[in-house]
Amino acid sequence: MKRWTTVLGRGGTMLIAISLALLLVSLIPQIQSSSAKGGGSISAGQFSIVFSPGGITPQQEVQVDVIVEGALTVYLLEINVRPQFINGTFDYGFNLTDLQELLEEHPEQIIWEREVENGEYKRNYVPSRLMNATVVVYNMGSEAAKLDYDIALKSSLAPGDKVRTIAYFAAPVGVVMAVPWLLSGWKQRKQK
Amino acid sequence: MGKGKPFLEVLASAMHEDFRFPFLELFAFLYTLGTFALANFTVGIYSQVGTNEAVAYAVTSSLIGGSLIIFIILIFKNVAYGLGSDLEKGIIQTYFSYPLKRWAILTAKLLSGIGVSLLLFLGIQISAFYILAPDIVLPQFSTIILTYAANLSYPLFISAIMLLLTLKLRRGGIGLVLGIVLYFGMNIASSIAFFVALATESALGLQIISVISPTYALQYHYGGLAGLSSSLWTPTLAETMLYIGGSYVIVAALFILGYIYFSRRLNL
Repeated sequence: MKRWTTVLGRGGTMLIAISLALLLVSLIPQIQSSSAKGGGSISAGQFSIVFSPGGITPQQEVQVDVIVEGALTVYLLEINVRPQFINGTFDYGFNLTDLQELLEEHPEQIIWEREVENGEYKRNYVPSRLMNATVVVYNMGSEAAKLDYDIALKSSLAPGDKVRTIAYFAAPVGVVMAVPWLLSGWKQRKQK
Repeated sequence: MGKGKPFLEVLASAMHEDFRFPFLELFAFLYTLGTFALANFTVGIYSQVGTNEAVAYAVTSSLIGGSLIIFIILIFKNVAYGLGSDLEKGIIQTYFSYPLKRWAILTAKLLSGIGVSLLLFLGIQISAFYILAPDIVLPQFSTIILTYAANLSYPLFISAIMLLLTLKLRRGGIGLVLGIVLYFGMNIASSIAFFVALATESALGLQIISVISPTYALQYHYGGLAGLSSSLWTPTLAETMLYIGGSYVIVAALFILGYIYFSRRLNL
């Protein structure tokens, strides 16, 4: 019985130690890797690539904040489009036909989409693997719409919410497991 | 009384000695913190080959990198210092009075010293990896296990040599120093072998080193260093597995030597 208490107790204290490490990891603040801020009008049937950081990792988070006057659809797509300097201008080499083809024939490359109408929309995304990411805003309506956006790519050691949740679950379990062992140790010391 | 109970007695006693409170907790804390703090997934984006396996290898290597030294410190402490001090203090002689074969006593000591440390290291690392990138861990689990196997071979090789030396000298100090020298010596040797290979356009040096430390074979299989070595040596996956298998045969042979010495030649 005493040996099992010890085994459980040490398992518990180990869980507490792991939880403390996870909490510490979650408390380390994020740093901004890149960002895009701006606005403008998007004509009917047109689209705009507003943020394209290239590859993103599970240690990064895309934070999207858009304000729309009119109706626009915001997409986070798993594509890598980089601006290229062609004939004196910067061009993404990705046109409306490419976008429509991707939306129709490759829906697996749409990480998420959201139709925003006269309002603000915020969303964060942490990938679970290494992937490409591009934020595209598409006006599918028949009238021009106004867009203001503030998009950032933040880097951290680990996704804070996920790690914190695990720590919050593991620590109490660890305490429950460790208490009998700690109490018996304390009683023994008191007897001596 | 069966053989199981005395074995568990020795194992419990060895674990009590190897992981006195709060050693286990401290190392669990360091493994967790080290894994997250030193992981660098960006290496996967710039992976030379760019296949899913190469990306998984690059990311796993970055994850192992920093925490491996913590694991090595723990097993060096347990094998050289722990066993050496048990031999010096006469604790091993006490174990000999148990109704157990000598090999079972050594197994209990190694299970405590290396087995528990390995379980802790792999358990925390793979769980942390799963928390960070489940979509890499599940589809590429075999690549991840292969990377861990390649990376753990050399620390286990040094542990086996330290075990032999500790048993021969009956104290752990010299074994510990030799272990540290061997660990850093391999980094120097691999660097020299790399430059010799570049100068002579022969990968023989790298291949010899890979027999003991197959992590280099795996590294060259997945693209090597900054494109320099891709033309120099690109072992196939089968060859890489052969290097990994060969290194574990050497490790097993050294541990068997340790067992034979402990069972037949160790006079206390």
